[in-house]
Amino acid sequence: MIRLENVSYSYPDGTPALRNINMGIKKGEYIGIIGKNGSGKSTLALHLNGLLRPQKGKVMVRGMNTGDFSKLQVIRKIVGIVFQNPETQFVGRTVEEDLAFGPENLCLPPLEIRRRIDRALAEIELEKYRYHSPKALSGGQGQCVALAGVLAMEPECLVFDEVTSMLDPESGKNVLERVKRLHEKGKTVVHITHNLEELHAADRIIVIDRGRILLEGKPENVLSDPSLLDLGLTPPSLIELAEHLKKHGVVIPWDKTSSPSSFAEEICRLFLKT
Amino acid sequence: MPIILENISFFYSRNTPLETAALQNVNLRIEKGEFVGILGEKGAGKSTLIKLFNGLLCPDSGKVTVDGLAPSSKEVKSRIGMVFQQAADQLFCRTVYEEIAFGPLNFGYSRKETEERVFEALEAVSFDRTMLSRDPFSLSGGEMQRVALAGALALRPDYLVLDEPITGLDPSGKKEILDTLKKMKDQGTAVITVTHNLKGFFPLLERIVLLREGRISFEGSREEYLETENVLLPPIASMIRELRSRGMPVNPAIFTVEEALKEILRVKSMIEKENSEK
Repeated sequence: MIRLENVSYSYPDGTPALRNINMGIKKGEYIGIIGKNGSGKSTLALHLNGLLRPQKGKVMVRGMNTGDFSKLQVIRKIVGIVFQNPETQFVGRTVEEDLAFGPENLCLPPLEIRRRIDRALAEIELEKYRYHSPKALSGGQGQCVALAGVLAMEPECLVFDEVTSMLDPESGKNVLERVKRLHEKGKTVVHITHNLEELHAADRIIVIDRGRILLEGKPENVLSDPSLLDLGLTPPSLIELAEHLKKHGVVIPWDKTSSPSSFAEEICRLFLKT
Repeated sequence: MPIILENISFFYSRNTPLETAALQNVNLRIEKGEFVGILGEKGAGKSTLIKLFNGLLCPDSGKVTVDGLAPSSKEVKSRIGMVFQQAADQLFCRTVYEEIAFGPLNFGYSRKETEERVFEALEAVSFDRTMLSRDPFSLSGGEMQRVALAGALALRPDYLVLDEPITGLDPSGKKEILDTLKKMKDQGTAVITVTHNLKGFFPLLERIVLLREGRISFEGSREEYLETENVLLPPIASMIRELRSRGMPVNPAIFTVEEALKEILRVKSMIEKENSEK
């Protein structure tokens, strides 16, 4: 559904941010993109709905080139981005108004706008903050408002750029649960993060370093790849522990490394059976 | 002399229909040289709490004193260095030098004294001097965070108060900040940090204060925290707890991968030995 062909992009001061990126995102896929701060992850995100356009190469969204201005509005209906800092994307005085902004811009009828706001608020469990000012909310709550705002646009593909990095783990987990659910309902998800623990459920993970794709594959292969450490990325601690244990002859299967309880259960099973 | 909070309550939108209690009857004492983590879920009142320390917010009831002084006094403001969650919000100068020098100049230190403090703070956050002429807004998130931290350190504060200082940073950026904080603590500065990153901070914290809906619901050592609290546990710690609940004889005070590895292997060989004796 989205295809990047030989995409290169440099910042205004000449620093290259993306170098010759080729990748495809299929409809309904859940893709994780990881890399250090400054590796080009966010620049890549901005290319996915034409907020930035490649200086070389092209980005196609359902056959439409993001370089074609006449297609941009359609493209942005298809691909919605949630950013790291929610404050930078608030426009409304109340949460409700903020959520209305996107659908209003799509020129939807008022009743439809209401329906979408209600749905997005329910989805993210924000009903009680409907009349609050988004700026008066805590960082975590603010991020939920930003997420609801993009949901109200009902895009097919959601791009999350470090959406949980400002959240406490509990609400981070909440947001991730919702991301997973949206994916199960058929949405295409691109999840950009440097918290590798979040990507256990991804279909595919792409590792970016200095603007290039360095590794690509299934989570079980990528997350335990030793080269991540050289990049300054720490693998999820349970996966790291499983890798160490393997060297001592204790093999924890991949699907048991997803949660502390399944991990502990497996250890008990292994140790107590003998 | 410590920071003392007595019976603090604080409300947002007081006397309006939107009135929300952010803090209720909070009592807290923080001594110099301590490393304290303030934990809690979103909206628990963590950020509100630390803004009381230097008078950015005033409590609706109760009393805050810092070394016996009112938090709004100039004296106190120079003793408390604050770093907020989003460093970009507290940067405003054209160069990194001006940024770090702003505090000391504002408190009336001479150019020479200020320069000395800027170099010292720069070194503390492991930047070299080429950084000084850079535009702070051209820096990466992690670098901005270190500039903000250097700005606070240039005041040579007795208390360093941080709000989520490592969120949004990649692992190497996190490590740099944590190393700096550890160094400051070792030099006798109190480090008080709001965080939900227990994985990163756990090895450093001496005391944990957990807020729940504006009240302190736990206060104690990290070992006690591991014994009693369920929230915000890093994956390794919760896995160890799960093992214990299943009857595995593992030591509860474990929070790093290395420690867990050692402990699991220890228990494994113990069980194997028992079995062979049978």
